[in-house]
Amino acid sequence: MNYIEKLLTNVSIDSLKLTLLRTAYVKKGSFLAQFDPRIVILWYSIFAILPWFVHNTTVLLLFFFTMVIIASLSRISGFILVMLSFTTFCNLISIIVLTFFLGGDIEAFLAILTLTLKLVTVALASVAVFASLDPEKFSDALLSFGLPGQVSFGVSYGYRMIPILIEEYHQIINSYRLRGRIPKKKGFLRWRQLFYMGKIAVLAFYPMILNTAKRTRTTVEALEVKGFTYALNHPEAKKLKLSYLKVRTKDIVLLASTCLFLSISFYIGSIYPL
Amino acid sequence: MQSNIGPTNQQGQSQKLMVFVLSMALFGLGDLVTELVPDIGIGSIEFGVPYFGFIGLILVMLFNPLYAALGAAVGEVVFGDLLMGDFGGLGEIEGVLTLFIGLYIAGLLVKNLNSKFSIAIAGMVGIAVEQVLGGLADCIKVWVGVEDLEAIQGLPESIVILELVECSMEWVIAGVIVGIIPSIILIPKLHGKIEPLLGVKPRQGAYSQVAAGYLLVVSIAVFVGATLFGVIGEAIEIGAWEPDFIDQFGGWFVWVGMAIAAVVLIITLLLRPKSKQDFEHPKAG
Repeated sequence: MNYIEKLLTNVSIDSLKLTLLRTAYVKKGSFLAQFDPRIVILWYSIFAILPWFVHNTTVLLLFFFTMVIIASLSRISGFILVMLSFTTFCNLISIIVLTFFLGGDIEAFLAILTLTLKLVTVALASVAVFASLDPEKFSDALLSFGLPGQVSFGVSYGYRMIPILIEEYHQIINSYRLRGRIPKKKGFLRWRQLFYMGKIAVLAFYPMILNTAKRTRTTVEALEVKGFTYALNHPEAKKLKLSYLKVRTKDIVLLASTCLFLSISFYIGSIYPL
Repeated sequence: MQSNIGPTNQQGQSQKLMVFVLSMALFGLGDLVTELVPDIGIGSIEFGVPYFGFIGLILVMLFNPLYAALGAAVGEVVFGDLLMGDFGGLGEIEGVLTLFIGLYIAGLLVKNLNSKFSIAIAGMVGIAVEQVLGGLADCIKVWVGVEDLEAIQGLPESIVILELVECSMEWVIAGVIVGIIPSIILIPKLHGKIEPLLGVKPRQGAYSQVAAGYLLVVSIAVFVGATLFGVIGEAIEIGAWEPDFIDQFGGWFVWVGMAIAAVVLIITLLLRPKSKQDFEHPKAG
């Protein structure tokens, strides 16, 4: 009962806004942030793809511990780590229970453990990279890889608009709550109140959709006046936008040491296979 | 018709950009709101709202489906994950693709915005495609990640069962409860009201039925192909215990694929006679 009470009162949109602003504007001086974003993405894709095709447990363990070190260098928030380990643990348990139920044995457990090792390694790499990369830099890197400019625009737009949109949504919700009345009967597990809140959360999107449509038209017309689509289709404008991205010596050092690490770990894996 | 002064037929470049931005912002906002609501998890099966399906469905049905679906998928990643500091990297690509395909199919499939039935069918099929493709991707991940998956008894079945339960849960919640039910209520309210705000004409009739059918066929082909591939893979390396496995798992899986194909066939047959009417008697905007 207490849980639902909390859910109804404490789900605060302000904390959401704060989190967003924190991701958007806090300067990050972590290990991976100092490199060129394109190189970091390249580095990341190595560690996001390779573990899937490695079936040597020694190599996987080496990958895992390296990722733990890099993730701890990247100063990820403890909350994300706790969530990560919790969900991993839950997944592991539920798959194992179901497997034993369907007639599996210890073999299945080991296979799932290896799979979980891979998943965690990839997840740690993602968290390390995307917690330390500035989203705007990340989107510019994607742009230079040839992704459509709309994506990179989406990131910048999100920065500027989302706090405003959330505030507007919050106001609409509040006005609905002021005009309406929360059901007196609580019902089993307070389902009436939960249903009421859910209904408001959905219905509030009706004015929200109309307002956002108006706002969008203004935004897009302003963009078009400044030649947004023209710039998207012309390589010179893109070049100018991305001119600050440069591959320096330390980026090459990062890639070279990664290659060295990969070859060493595969060598160790072939000597001492688990 | 293409002039920038009067309402255009949803074809102008800036109109497309508007639809994209609108869909991105709204779907992203909806995604953020659903993040606020904590999921109640039992093992790897979560009872929670994965996303507000109705926002994507409404926009995809009212506007140009391609740009609305693209915007929703981008908004999901950028707003919901990247800006919240919860970005999964390569794993997000699959989410973007499945969401885009599902919503796009829903937008193309809908025939008549005045008919609740048409909206409901298109929405349910779209979200179902998204969920099936997503579940398939998860299964493939396990298949790639575990060496000799078939050699371990009980594991493939349990993965498939878990995925099936999770996908159907998400389909019921995102596709029906916060999917088509709000859509059915909100689309008639918004139809004809929101389009002038973007300077476009309200949508009449279907976009392009051929493309929808084509996309559906492709996604079903992917699904059935993957299933058959798995079953044939089983059949080739028949071991001592394998035939039993095909009986239990493969055969059942093929039946699921065939059931989905049958449902889609029935839906297309049901919807076909209506479309001509739409084209012959378009309602005045």
